[in-house]
Amino acid sequence: MAVREVVPGVQWVGSIDWDRKVFDELIPLPHGTSYNAYLVKGTEKTALIDTVDPKKEFELVANLISSSVDRIDYLIVNHAEQDHSGSLPMLLELFPMAKVVTNEKCCEFLKKFHEIEESCCHIIKDGDTLDLGGATLEFIITPWVHWPETMVTYLREKKILFSCDLFGSHLATSDLFVIDENTTYTAAKRYYAEIMMPFRNSIKGHLERLDNYEINIIAPSHGPLYDRPGLIIDAYRDWTGDHVKNEAIILYVSMHGSTEKMVAHLTDALIKREIPVKVLNLGVCDTGEISVSLVDAATIILATPTVLFGPHPLMVYAAYLANLIRPKAKFGTVIGSYAWGGKTIDTLKGMLNHLTLEFLTPIYIQGTPDITAFQALDKLADAVEQKHKNLV
Amino acid sequence: MDKYQCGVCGHIYDPVIGEPTLSIVSGIDFSDITGTFNCPVCGAEKSMFTKV
Repeated sequence: MAVREVVPGVQWVGSIDWDRKVFDELIPLPHGTSYNAYLVKGTEKTALIDTVDPKKEFELVANLISSSVDRIDYLIVNHAEQDHSGSLPMLLELFPMAKVVTNEKCCEFLKKFHEIEESCCHIIKDGDTLDLGGATLEFIITPWVHWPETMVTYLREKKILFSCDLFGSHLATSDLFVIDENTTYTAAKRYYAEIMMPFRNSIKGHLERLDNYEINIIAPSHGPLYDRPGLIIDAYRDWTGDHVKNEAIILYVSMHGSTEKMVAHLTDALIKREIPVKVLNLGVCDTGEISVSLVDAATIILATPTVLFGPHPLMVYAAYLANLIRPKAKFGTVIGSYAWGGKTIDTLKGMLNHLTLEFLTPIYIQGTPDITAFQALDKLADAVEQKHKNLV
Repeated sequence: MDKYQCGVCGHIYDPVIGEPTLSIVSGIDFSDITGTFNCPVCGAEKSMFTKV
């Protein structure tokens, strides 16, 4: 793997994982990913900021060799998750004098995950600095940017923010810096939806704090670096802000076609009312597509038939996912069809208890939709239109 | 008495139920909880909760 210079004194020594297709056995990676590690050389000391997934640790070591590194004084750990901290045990074998520099909470995690001895750790607090000799690292503790121990590191002299998972994207690319802004925006939004969305309110606060820093480069731990940081900072402001888009998302699954007919009618009714709508068939859409669709839509409509006594299991999965990642949608409802019974509506409402949704009148019918059902769907489209008109 | 929601994981403190895993019995207002309180699901601090 080729070592790349970010700026003089700062090198990218990470790994590009072109082959990886799924993360956590949960998140599809249509474009692979990267694990970015950064070597910062001062006149006195050398620091490595984050490591790589342990399956790529030999690439990291090869990069350090080709960078002519004969010592590492500090191993900075912004986040304890294994795709960033997992190569620590090997690095500590190679560089036994190195100190693991991180916050107290992260140190606790590292002890549990990698059996790192506390004596190897140099605990820092929010705002602490580390002088490498002409290169000053400032640590900014940003809890709940994925995990409770997360922090970011700022290199004052070069105005680089090493943001770890924050502002990241699962994108394997040979571009060190973002060149294709559209591709990166899409990948970063998907990443935000999957990883960051539950922490929207924490991130909003951290963005305000980062406003106080002059940032020339954002160097995340996944995906390309931003030498025009406004691109990703503005996007995060938009995604984490309370404003929702005039858009309805219909997540649906159908068994014998009745729910599908209802979805088709409602979709047309929304389009006629000039309400942007996205329709996702849960039978073919993956977790990433579902998650990213929910980032900023005003309305979420769950359309499912009843299987035996409750919602179709694919809808149960989607509702559980939505309740975990907690999109900021303001309105929601359930539509669909049953054969002979069940309590699908109550089950799904209960599953979305972490969302702050105003529930619109559900439309749940027996068998195939008739003219009465279609009229009810038209009324639902009217209600969505009315609600969206009142959006600030 | 109001319900409070954890801003991190979404867990809801309902004073009608209390917080059995933390030995907080029903009927205690969120603001009246004394001592250290962390979310029983994710461990977030009390300050991360907001009224719902």
